[in-house]
Amino acid sequence: MSETVLQIEGLEKSFGALRATCDVSLDVAHGEIHALIGPNGAGKTTLIRQIYGSETSDAGVVKLRGEVMNGLNVPQRVARGIGRSFQISNVLMDFTVLQNAILAEQARRGESFRFFRPAFDDQALIEGAGVMLDRVGLGYRATTPVADLAHGERRLLELALALAAEPALLLLDEPMAGAGSEETQHMIEIIDGLRSRAGILLIEHDMDAVFRLADRVTVLVEGEIIASGAPDVISADKAVREAYLGSDDHA
Amino acid sequence: MDALRIFLDGANRNRTLFVLLVGFALFPIYTGIADLPFWNDLAMRIMLLGLAAMGLNLVLGYGGMVSFGHAAFVGVGAYCVGISQYYGLFNGWIHILMALGACGALGLVIGYLALRTSGIYFIMITLAFAQMLFFLFVSLEQFGGDDGMSIDRAEFIIIDLWEPLRLYYLIWAALALSSVLLMFIVRSRFGVVLQAIRSNESRVEAMGLAPLPFKITGYVISAMICGLAGALFASWQEYVSPDIMHWTRSGELMIIIILGGLGTLSGPLLGAVVFLLLEEILPEVMHVVAPSYAENWMIVFGPILIAVVLFARGGLMGLVHQMTGRRR
Amino acid sequence: MTVTLLLEQMFNGLQSGVMLFLIAAGLTLILGIMDFVFLAHGAQVMIGAYAAASLTALTGNFLVGIVLAIPITFASGFLLEFLLIRHLYRRDHMDQVLATFGLILFFNELIRIGFGPAALFSDLPKALSGFVNILPDAPYPMFRLVVIIVGLACAIGIHMLVSHTRVGAMVRAGANNEAMTAALGINIRLLRRFVFAVGACFAGVAGMMIGPLTAVEPGMGEPLLILSLVVIIIGGIGSVRGAFVAAVLVGMVDTMGRVLLPVILRSFMGQAAADGAGPALASMMVYILMSLVLVFKPTGLFPPKG
Repeated sequence: MSETVLQIEGLEKSFGALRATCDVSLDVAHGEIHALIGPNGAGKTTLIRQIYGSETSDAGVVKLRGEVMNGLNVPQRVARGIGRSFQISNVLMDFTVLQNAILAEQARRGESFRFFRPAFDDQALIEGAGVMLDRVGLGYRATTPVADLAHGERRLLELALALAAEPALLLLDEPMAGAGSEETQHMIEIIDGLRSRAGILLIEHDMDAVFRLADRVTVLVEGEIIASGAPDVISADKAVREAYLGSDDHA
Repeated sequence: MDALRIFLDGANRNRTLFVLLVGFALFPIYTGIADLPFWNDLAMRIMLLGLAAMGLNLVLGYGGMVSFGHAAFVGVGAYCVGISQYYGLFNGWIHILMALGACGALGLVIGYLALRTSGIYFIMITLAFAQMLFFLFVSLEQFGGDDGMSIDRAEFIIIDLWEPLRLYYLIWAALALSSVLLMFIVRSRFGVVLQAIRSNESRVEAMGLAPLPFKITGYVISAMICGLAGALFASWQEYVSPDIMHWTRSGELMIIIILGGLGTLSGPLLGAVVFLLLEEILPEVMHVVAPSYAENWMIVFGPILIAVVLFARGGLMGLVHQMTGRRR
Repeated sequence: MTVTLLLEQMFNGLQSGVMLFLIAAGLTLILGIMDFVFLAHGAQVMIGAYAAASLTALTGNFLVGIVLAIPITFASGFLLEFLLIRHLYRRDHMDQVLATFGLILFFNELIRIGFGPAALFSDLPKALSGFVNILPDAPYPMFRLVVIIVGLACAIGIHMLVSHTRVGAMVRAGANNEAMTAALGINIRLLRRFVFAVGACFAGVAGMMIGPLTAVEPGMGEPLLILSLVVIIIGGIGSVRGAFVAAVLVGMVDTMGRVLLPVILRSFMGQAAADGAGPALASMMVYILMSLVLVFKPTGLFPPKG
């Protein structure tokens, strides 16, 4: 059994009367893709935000490789090894693809308080950034301004940036959202290839992608886990079919 | 040699800035030949306002922090000269050091408190701190209160020999030095992060960088540049009053930046040139077109500002880039 | 310091507070609902003051002057929104600051051309120029009392308008969520124009009331604008209730500070110096108050629920 990267216990969050997550416990091991599925409004993104640190938790513990993350803010958690790709592409639109990667590279190295040498001409940074882009096959678009990228390419850049700091845990929030079928295939292959690098918590609505990638699947409905296990077990689970998968059949 | 290479590369990318700097350096030769000493005075005012606007541009244009109170730093820099002289200290170099120190410290405190907020709240809290300082100096009767205090010519040991243009070239040197410094800063790793924060703060956080230290550092540097401009302004005007930190002065600095081009190195200086020339020329034009309203040139200036906002996005530097066919 | 004087100053503080509220009420909605930094709201105060003063001079009747001036302020807000402001909603704050700053210059100069640079003074009608006893042996200027009453009446009117009418409900919905207002099929463009016009109207009324107490002159609106921005920030941007509480607070602190600070300062400095520094320090206190509020409650005392 490989090392547990992420462990969360009893995580809760309410917005007024609305309980977004309720007593959620799960873990992600290194090399594992753990998919989190559930209908819209089930609290999946809230859970990701709680792990990532952009939302405080009302109760519960988030541990990364045994270290408690509660009380740390986003940059601190990122520095300790949590990477995240966002549901809506969150990249630097005013910059080129390479410049985005250069920033991520200098942040990774922790060398940003320097006032003299031009960052975008720095050979060491350019090399590191190139490696980063090649990982997702975006190297050939390096000099393109992000604003000119196609949607799928932006998703790939998003993924490259999430991988930049070589995180132990990767939170992927609907990486296939809005992608065409070809782009989805490409994305599935890339995510599949990331297994050796990190533990991955994947939120995805594309069930085909989920069942092709996931080692384990957890189903969240109205903030609570109703089932968790291997993909074939989950797809056979009655409660899940009724609460979630079943609704697809009827629709 | 590395520094020289970076400098030349930067200069090549910011030709407008260097053309303006060389222009200002040579300008006294022209005014000397043509015997137009008034224009030297105007050029000094342009350079001083341009310097202050450059300082503000680091947070406003590059950092995306809409500070509406930077005139306070100019004022504090100016009062450093006045108050030092009140206590018998006449060395201009020490005045400048004090202005840098005072504005740096003040920028740190105000930046730390103000940067906890964002959006309209940030605009307003920076305005509030500036108003606080404005009324503080109004209340200090010892230093002239509302009426302000007159300032003797400061002694600048070493360059005092260069009368009568010593102040002109001192201001020029401060401007040139700050320009080069800013040119290095905005292209450096620090400057790039600052611009990334303006573009998308949550992405910067996702890269593992806490934005606040970068913003505060930018704020402090910008406050210090404004303080330098203020100290020189006091020496030039030989007088300082709270009016220098009135909130409309902060507005003027913003106007200059937007007029010239937000987030460009040459924009603030170009904006200052155009702003002060308009101030000189509009009354003359009004005098010809509508003689009885020559004093009311603001009636034209206000709408010009609005027109710049509505139709000249990117300011004058935007036009320059359009004409030279270069993206910024 | 006598109780009578203190009471009189409290009334002055209240008077200045309710006037600030009239200016701030519309502006807080403009900043809150439209996320629009509108610096030319002080010009609306000036327009109101000039309209009332000149119409009073023309008709010879203060009340008629005011009644005729109100539609003018409404129209000025309406037209300004239609001609310029609506083109600036999608711009960033900096553009808005700049364009409305240009408006300030324009309006001040326009007034200077039309009415001259000197201040206008208007005589109060006889019925309003006397004194009334607010306590036995505590005379208070009649007109200031009228100003307080008008201010409070307007405040109640604004409250009714925002809390108990359909338009008010739309405005409140808009203050919290613009997309939702749009989804409900509310004509957001008309709503914005209406808020501008009504906001200008109340700011104008404040100008009409303040005019006879101070000087009606070009640029008279800007100090009031800055103070009402302070009020809005302290109260929480977009909150009319917060603006009322903050306006009275700021009015009190400013007025009482002006009276009390010189007294306190006199105990450890010369009288002349204390009288000179007192008012400026009182002005400073308002901003210190605002900074303290922002440091501890970064979204003001009554942030609208969002």
